[in-house]
Amino acid sequence: MFAETTSVTMVGAEPRPVRVEAHVGGAKDVFKLSGLPDTAVREAKERVRAAVASSSMSFPARRITVNLAPADLPKGGADYDLPIALGVLGAAGTIPARPVVALGELALDGSVRAGRGALGAAIVASRMGVPCLVADEVASEAASVMGADVVPVRTLAEAVAVVSGEARRRTVEPAHRPRPSAPDLADVRGQPLARRALEVAAAGGHHLFLHGPPGSGKSMLAHRLGGLLPPLTDDEALAAACVWAAAGRTRGVDRTPPFRSPHHTASLAALIGGGTGTVVPGEISLASHGVLFLDELGEFPARSLDALRQPLEEGEVTIARRGMSVNLPAAVQLVAATNPCPCGYAGDRVQACQCSPATLRRYRRRISGPLLDRFDLRVAVRRLSADELQGPTGEPTSAVAPRVEAARKRQAERGALNRDLTRAQLDREPIDGEAGRLLTRAVDRAGLTARGYDRIRRVARTLADLEEVDAIQERHIAEALALRGSW
Amino acid sequence: MTGLHVLARGDSAYPARLEEIADPPERLWVRGSLPVAPCVAIVGTRRATRYGMGLARQMGRAVAGAGWVVVSGLARGIDGSAHRGCLDGGGPGIAVLGCGIDVWYPPEHQALGEDLAKEGAVVSEYPPGTRPEPWRFPARNRIISGLSAAVVVVEAAEKGGALITARLAAEQGREVFAVPGDVDRKTSVGTNLLIRDGAVPVLGAGDLVEALSLVLGPPRVRQAIDLALDLPRDGATVDEVIEANGGDAAEVLQLLGRMETEGSVRIEADQVFIC
Repeated sequence: MFAETTSVTMVGAEPRPVRVEAHVGGAKDVFKLSGLPDTAVREAKERVRAAVASSSMSFPARRITVNLAPADLPKGGADYDLPIALGVLGAAGTIPARPVVALGELALDGSVRAGRGALGAAIVASRMGVPCLVADEVASEAASVMGADVVPVRTLAEAVAVVSGEARRRTVEPAHRPRPSAPDLADVRGQPLARRALEVAAAGGHHLFLHGPPGSGKSMLAHRLGGLLPPLTDDEALAAACVWAAAGRTRGVDRTPPFRSPHHTASLAALIGGGTGTVVPGEISLASHGVLFLDELGEFPARSLDALRQPLEEGEVTIARRGMSVNLPAAVQLVAATNPCPCGYAGDRVQACQCSPATLRRYRRRISGPLLDRFDLRVAVRRLSADELQGPTGEPTSAVAPRVEAARKRQAERGALNRDLTRAQLDREPIDGEAGRLLTRAVDRAGLTARGYDRIRRVARTLADLEEVDAIQERHIAEALALRGSW
Repeated sequence: MTGLHVLARGDSAYPARLEEIADPPERLWVRGSLPVAPCVAIVGTRRATRYGMGLARQMGRAVAGAGWVVVSGLARGIDGSAHRGCLDGGGPGIAVLGCGIDVWYPPEHQALGEDLAKEGAVVSEYPPGTRPEPWRFPARNRIISGLSAAVVVVEAAEKGGALITARLAAEQGREVFAVPGDVDRKTSVGTNLLIRDGAVPVLGAGDLVEALSLVLGPPRVRQAIDLALDLPRDGATVDEVIEANGGDAAEVLQLLGRMETEGSVRIEADQVFIC
């Protein structure tokens, strides 16, 4: 007799179905498990046997073969207990063989424990159009996947009853997380330049580089970027939830763009992803579709900064493992802040800088040219005087966010964020004649490099989008030139 | 005469003003040619702030633009900025070294020194090949002030070469100007002390030219720049310029972008300087 259930494994942050094929036949009392199981999966045999017995059912005393397919995907953990038990009981004829997705560890007394991949199981189940059986604790998270038919089960006996159609299914409400209120832009006093840069950064997804002395509000500004970003789409929210689930964290299907700010002492694996055994997503993936804020950029080790470059370019991280490579999303908007020099006071109005020219040069060079090139916007932030600190507040987030959303919508229609526009794409963007002439003059006079030229055009494209204008105008190039900043 | 040459006391080309001081150098090695117009020394600390360097550059530019010669010591910080401003303003200028005129110190100022030699002169009382030694610099300072009709100290700490130059200048009967600063800022302690002790405070490049014209005669007339923006002061922050022009960041940034491309202003970090 043969039966099949489905479970799930995460490849990076992507849930993949795993077919749990069970065969019961012959008279010999053996239990074989195949299909690249790790130790915890192999131990499932003992847990399943005990859990079935504890649930007042008889475990078939015959030759049992369970295969996890496809065989080339590595499978780990105890989450396969429940689908294996249902498969074996189905193959033995104890329960009807019905297609379900199931996931969860079995305790010896037959209760079902939460599994890590509940969210992935719900995604796979909704694609297959079958019910998804998971433990109570994780059911509401799984239920937040659109279109998933999630059935919470407390015990193996309850799961058996549900599959047999003997018990009434319990229903579950999707996890509802109120959107936490992001810090508001209204808290920022003065600083019209930085405010403008923040709006432009949000509108075009541009990476933003802030430099200024300690206490000038760099991190305050960075934290206000999240609130300006439009809510995630269904797909983005689901993708973000999967990454978080793969990292063993619960995020649920939340439309708030993630905001991550790892400390500069974070390891390379914590930043980019990796770890031993299964691939654990790093901060750059946890921040995907949101903001990665690197405070004190100059303090990050050079190899961490180098490792960021490729993911930033490609929007994903590739990690090679056991003959296969895993891709994780890394579509982040990078915001970096740094002091102008090691002592922090170069260019300050009051405090004298104590750094020698050589120290200063070394410090500036730490932030390598290739990484610096990724920042379309570079803004100097200054400590506010007492007067300015008591000055009037500016526009609140609720006034700026709709402009950002409108600009983003235009980019979505074109198919790419302005941050990601390549030179070839930029060449195709309509540009007014006068704008082109100003750009040429800037190349001649200001010695703009080819990369600098592209940065100006990307930012100008965003400025035009903020005005909802199709062709880039001279005023957009002019403002982009003033926003280009120096470091 | 251009190229490398040496002038001895009594030579017709030996600067007359230098003969007036108590201990004029016997010989002067010269790279380039010594300009004949009145000279103004602009000096200050090597550990200057961005503000100070910006101001020194504007003053260098204004002095050169008025038709006078900027003299300084080719050091890092204020000196270098003053020389650069002088070149911005069309030169000529003089750099007085504390080492041989074929030894570039600091090394990163070699290109600047070579440009100055083209527009004016690089001079030293030490023969070619002399290494830079700390004890030679104070002696060099008497030549800086000796060549000049006036000495401007932009930023100076409580002790340092710039104050030595100012003291020597006063002894030599030169006018001493100093830029006032915050009383609690290290780089302004020296200049504030000079003002307390009788130096003339200068409140910017325009003010300096006005004050100098009383000593040196009327400045050469230059075309005034017509700015489309209201700039609260040279070196104002972009934020201040935005506030002063109605608060519309986009509009002001557009104007600044155009003006920078035309070359009428320069934006450094978040400060706007008139070119």
